[in-house]
Amino acid sequence: MKALQVFEPDARTVYSIEMVAHLAQVPRRLIVLYYKHGLVSPVRDPASSGWCFDEEAIRIVRRIEYLRSACNVNLAGIKLILGLTQEVERLRQELRFQQRR
Amino acid sequence: MPVEFKDYYKVLGVPRNASEEDIKKAFRKLARQYHPDVAKDKKGAEEKFKEINEAYEVLGDPENRTKYDELGASWREDGSFRQAPGRQGRGRRPGGEESFEFHVDGTGFSDFFEQFFGRGGRFGGMNDFAPPHARSTEEEGFALRGADLESDILVTLEEALAGSVRTVSLQRVNRRTGEAKTQTLKVRIPPGVHEGQAIRVAGMGEDGVGGGASGDLYLRVRFAAHPEFRVRGADLYYALDLAPWEAVLGTKVVVPTLKDRVSVRIPPGTTQGRQLRVRGRGLPIDSSGRQGDLYVVVNIQVPPEPGEEERELWKQLSRVSPFNPRKT
Repeated sequence: MKALQVFEPDARTVYSIEMVAHLAQVPRRLIVLYYKHGLVSPVRDPASSGWCFDEEAIRIVRRIEYLRSACNVNLAGIKLILGLTQEVERLRQELRFQQRR
Repeated sequence: MPVEFKDYYKVLGVPRNASEEDIKKAFRKLARQYHPDVAKDKKGAEEKFKEINEAYEVLGDPENRTKYDELGASWREDGSFRQAPGRQGRGRRPGGEESFEFHVDGTGFSDFFEQFFGRGGRFGGMNDFAPPHARSTEEEGFALRGADLESDILVTLEEALAGSVRTVSLQRVNRRTGEAKTQTLKVRIPPGVHEGQAIRVAGMGEDGVGGGASGDLYLRVRFAAHPEFRVRGADLYYALDLAPWEAVLGTKVVVPTLKDRVSVRIPPGTTQGRQLRVRGRGLPIDSSGRQGDLYVVVNIQVPPEPGEEERELWKQLSRVSPFNPRKT
């Protein structure tokens, strides 16, 4: 068998805003807008150490794009949906924890 | 492609009317026996362990169990239904002539599980992140990035602690021609992953349109149920059974951790449900090396059938002791 490609995503990798824009195929200004609306946040304070995002941010930006373009949801709606899915995920984990008692 | 029906009751060796408690007990017994870290036949045990976990994931959750029982009643030999199933399988995208069906293998979950109990479907379309095909005709000439694919991956707590490399294969079946292409890849599960975290495998999603980049494959971490520990964030919880006198007088017990064993001092007068914290014996919090804690939760058990002499001693105790738990 030929050698397999190994994917080694490093949890610590941080991306510049340009890289996020490239990976999510979203203009830079939209990412700034999403940040201003509290939808996505850099790993550190942008004022002191620049705009650095993690993997999760890329996933969120893609999610926002999907909700905007495919579902025609506005930013307020997206904020609500992202908050709710996060809350559902948290509650589901807590439920699993309680059920396994 | 019809999926095979899985008899989860048979996997756990319990009858269909088994109680929640019986299911839990059966799981713990089998999971201890087949845990990849303890079993001698590693490869065989790993397969079995995954199967047991999948069965428990469904039968151990009352909602999933009800759904499964209903599914079983309407299942036909060829994998189709008498009634229409509730939802589409995951990792599939409808529409378009060139539509593909995706199967991800090596994640620890069967196609059957993915189709009916995978998490993506609950987000109602959230597993389908690409813009719809309609957009590509509207904006003719624009390059579109391929859709991302999402799949759950079963990760044991030991893997989350130490990290591991998993072999995952991705099969694409062209709906029109029936042609299947399989790609196998190795994915590193980094130490410190947490439940729900998505591991991005770049470029392994659907092909782009008009020269657009390929989408990515997201493997969403789902922790395997552990026979000894429950997980909350980076903390682990271990239920410790104690005899009433051990709780009253205090004692020293040895409890397991993910790596080894630690000795825990139970102070005198320990009450039911008390949580004793063993610092730093949980899962990694992040990549900084900090670790969560292990909580030992006290569970006081009473002797089920005390002997003659034992009963006499308890009676004597009840006369001597001034303790009244219901006194206000």
